[in-house]
Amino acid sequence: MEFLGYERPDGSVGVRNHVAVISSGRCANEMAATIADAVSGAVPILHTYPCVRLNEDNERALRTLAGIGSNPNVAAAIVVGVGCENPPPDQIAEEISRTRKPVELLTIQESSSFSDLIDRGLAAARRMASEASQMPRKPCALSHLTLGVKCGASSAVSGIAGNSVTGRVFDRLIAEGGSAIFSETTEVIGATHLLAKRAVNKEVARRLEEMVARMESRIKATGDDIRGSQPTRGNIAGGLTTIEEKSLGAFAKTGTAPLQGVLESGERPQGKGLFFMDGSAMTGELVGGETAAGVQIHIYNLGGGLTSSFRCLPGWAGGLPILPEIVVVTSPSRPRDSQEKECFDIYADTIIEGKETVDQIADRLFQEIIAVASGKLSKQEMRSGYRELLVMYTTGPIL
Amino acid sequence: MKKAMIINPKDNTATAFDDIEAGDTVSLVSKSGQTGGEITVRQTVPFGHKLALAGIGQGDKVLKYGEVIGLATRPINQGDYVHTHNVESALLPPQRR
Repeated sequence: MEFLGYERPDGSVGVRNHVAVISSGRCANEMAATIADAVSGAVPILHTYPCVRLNEDNERALRTLAGIGSNPNVAAAIVVGVGCENPPPDQIAEEISRTRKPVELLTIQESSSFSDLIDRGLAAARRMASEASQMPRKPCALSHLTLGVKCGASSAVSGIAGNSVTGRVFDRLIAEGGSAIFSETTEVIGATHLLAKRAVNKEVARRLEEMVARMESRIKATGDDIRGSQPTRGNIAGGLTTIEEKSLGAFAKTGTAPLQGVLESGERPQGKGLFFMDGSAMTGELVGGETAAGVQIHIYNLGGGLTSSFRCLPGWAGGLPILPEIVVVTSPSRPRDSQEKECFDIYADTIIEGKETVDQIADRLFQEIIAVASGKLSKQEMRSGYRELLVMYTTGPIL
Repeated sequence: MKKAMIINPKDNTATAFDDIEAGDTVSLVSKSGQTGGEITVRQTVPFGHKLALAGIGQGDKVLKYGEVIGLATRPINQGDYVHTHNVESALLPPQRR
């Protein structure tokens, strides 16, 4: 099977063809937005990251912004900075240029004025957008696709409906030679052994255990113990009895493929297949890391409850405009004829209604992924206007 | 008829797809849509909660997703409601059990 994508000089394939105008520090957000908003085909990557953080966080922020620029959905990138910030704009631009796609670096430090930088940025963005618009889509193997996933507002049936559907789709894409990345390190605490069983070798299992232990020790350092709080009262009211049951429901979205590797946030996987990435449960942080790792399409499994009435998902409303998102909604606690289901890409309550099986919905989702990969706009992409800032995944304090 | 799903053939629990009353006969379905017969449920089981497909002895494994989700803390009969009152995490240290 194939999809129609954009071939990049480094051999990767984009499903979108954006010019990304990347702000290297929050001080540069206004400049990046001013340039991107004035050029059709350009999108701003804006974030809240301050300079005043420790090295580990700075390195992760560099990896994230450089990774977003290197993502195959980006045809060309402009890095806009002040010049004095962390992560350094020249390093972001240099990392992106390793993919051999067009990259421009613009800093206030090297400009005679704000207007000078904006003028040069507009000229570069127009040139890049024009070049990008002339690139054709070509048939490409599905092995070029990498999917990401996040589940939110999970209910007692998320593990059976939306997450199972995504698991089937992951298995199918991986069988075609493609890749998938999942995250949320806190979901693995208390159930590491269940995931470690799927590791391809002892080294991967050991890295997984280390990564989860590191997250748990960070939590313990605050004086709190996550194990005592899982499953939550809400989970128990919804039918989840133990932490194992909760984690297994969450792992359902990863399918059954062996775990090929364990990644730091924003780290690009070596090879193909299923990968785990360190990350928090905050959607914006998680999606930033996955995009930097090369995810081209994101699957969001939205569970039941009030959140299914939000057409833009709270905390993740088109925050990363280079990444198409397909939302699978399972919302048994809401009226089943709710008009809200029209606002999401795949409606999975049909499993509970007895109208469709997991396999049938997985087939619909798989076809939708190929369509979106080939250019169909997802429901999330068709909204415009409201935009969230990217929040970088950090583990240290603000200094 | 009300329904409950058996997620994995190894499981000894099923998940209710309706609010089930004590005495209801429930149709069991698999993920691929196949029917797995019927079961009479002995206790109230709310939507999304679990019922026992077979008797589970005290200390025996409770299975969902084909995996151990916990251990029975008291004998469970076929058709019983399965939750925190009769199941505990297998990961708890022995002194907390």
